[in-house]
Amino acid sequence: MSNLSLTSAIPKLIRAVPRSRNFEAMLIFWVSGIHAFALAQIQLSVLQIMTWEMLLYWAPPTLSAMIVHWVLRKYAVKADGLMLPLAFLLNGLGIAMIYRLDLAELAAGGSDLFAQRQVWLSCFAMLIAAAVIRVVPNHLALRRFPFISGLAAVVLLLLPAAPVIGRTVNGATLWVGTDELSFQPGEIAKILLAIFFAGYLVSRQGSLAEIGSRVLGVKVPRAKDLGPILLFWFASLGVLIVQRDLGTSILYFGLFLVMVYTATGRGFYIGAGLVMMVTGALVASRFFDYVERRFEVWLDPFSSANYTAIGGSYQLVQGLFGMANGDVIGTGLGGGFPQLIPLAESDFIFAALGEELGLAGVFVILAVYLLLVYRGLRIANSHPDDFSKLLALGLAFVIGLQVFVVAGGVMGLLPLTGLTTPFLAAGGSSLLANWSIIALLLIISDSSLRSNK
Amino acid sequence: MSELALFLVRIGFVAVLWIFVLSLLSVIRADLYGRRVMSRLAKQSGPQLSQAPVPELDIDDGDAFEPTKIQMLTGRSAGNTLELGEKKEVTIGRSPGSDLVISDEFASNTHAKLVLVGDEWVLQDLSSTNGTFIDGKRVTTPVTMTAGATIRIGTTTFDLRS
Repeated sequence: MSNLSLTSAIPKLIRAVPRSRNFEAMLIFWVSGIHAFALAQIQLSVLQIMTWEMLLYWAPPTLSAMIVHWVLRKYAVKADGLMLPLAFLLNGLGIAMIYRLDLAELAAGGSDLFAQRQVWLSCFAMLIAAAVIRVVPNHLALRRFPFISGLAAVVLLLLPAAPVIGRTVNGATLWVGTDELSFQPGEIAKILLAIFFAGYLVSRQGSLAEIGSRVLGVKVPRAKDLGPILLFWFASLGVLIVQRDLGTSILYFGLFLVMVYTATGRGFYIGAGLVMMVTGALVASRFFDYVERRFEVWLDPFSSANYTAIGGSYQLVQGLFGMANGDVIGTGLGGGFPQLIPLAESDFIFAALGEELGLAGVFVILAVYLLLVYRGLRIANSHPDDFSKLLALGLAFVIGLQVFVVAGGVMGLLPLTGLTTPFLAAGGSSLLANWSIIALLLIISDSSLRSNK
Repeated sequence: MSELALFLVRIGFVAVLWIFVLSLLSVIRADLYGRRVMSRLAKQSGPQLSQAPVPELDIDDGDAFEPTKIQMLTGRSAGNTLELGEKKEVTIGRSPGSDLVISDEFASNTHAKLVLVGDEWVLQDLSSTNGTFIDGKRVTTPVTMTAGATIRIGTTTFDLRS
């Protein structure tokens, strides 16, 4: 009798937790296995033996991912099941690659190490993501503060130009803080800008899409509707020109275009945006020599003048040689020479991975990004509320565009920019921002399934 | 470690990465094409076993209208459906807290609601600014929904269907 009631209770118990959570747990185990494999492979091929030191790079991120998973189980049980494992996979691969570069640095007698730092920053970022999931009960609350978020974004963008705390590294004024502890406020600003655009566009999308006078056959919206958006956009672009960072301004511009287009469904914005972009690029290449140099390097990286110039194409060409050395299946982790690429642990981690994992590995990494963005777009598509749709779309697009610009830059298909590779590159601000994006997308997906119930 | 072993490890690692991505693709596949066949089978076998007399009642009461979902016909979310499921009440409006969110300039925040009374869905206008219409007639008192009746709010139309 008791046996019978127990067996009938089992389906109930299983149904209490959605399939996605159990699947997610399984994937996290799998991903942490992949990370262990990567670290073991690195130690075997560089040090010839496996040491316990590898646990230092493996256990803390795995534990943090499990904590995020546990928080999801507790507070957002219906959230998407793929995003956390996908982001965790990329994060761990990044740590493994940085550890591998550290070993090369130690072998060369250097002491510029990044991996331990990256491990703790990753854990910190994941715990912040867990806190966001726990503390933000409903992302719709964010809808109430579009202008505050917009203003905060502009202030954050301006911070690095402030006298005492601002810092300039490699020509770009993007950091605040001291030499030991620095932060890129622009990374957080992109989330705030997405919130601002979503909140503003959702309240005005009707008038932006329908009302307006016809000029040369296209409907131009009223200045009243377009004004605040253009104002914020000019402000953030102006800030970026002052800070001399091309990538970030492309990112904000793309985010702006895509969100306006999605909110209104009017091709006018895409057309006008592309015209503005091309004009802007041409003007910038005329007036800013750093943009001009980027263009020259992009168009002719192998000319000896560009190769030998300071800030020339040396880094890009080293990356291209590395990826060529990697061939289809790569040299294997620990088998190549990614340490020869300057900044291989941050800006050029994509090239370093391309060398050691080869074309096959790069395709996996791009596929993982694709899945991540796809899940984000799916969350946007299936959510009943417009603000959530726009916000999810904007956040997913931020990740996608960054990967596009960085991968394109490293492969020599686009001019090189200062954007970071999400989750892979060494750097705390970027990890923090991207994990917060994942947390927000998870919250949105959770609420979408709730309201469909 | 021998060259051969390292080579195998290196191939193995890329293979594991690929297996991971491909196994995720199987999930995406279910996303794209749905689990329709499975869920239909499950629906058929479930209620038939437990509520065998129900079909007979249906035949007696030929014009009973038991919608299972709301189909959006025109407007920004045209083509979308909202499953009624076990719901007893569906609030309709522009506010994001509504069960059925209507993004329409002419919709009020809480515009109208559908309430299940007995086994009939009744549409009630919640004194909206621009009115709710059933087949072109403005709703002033609660109206019982019939099969094929189209509800219009602003430029958004939708109906109940099974």
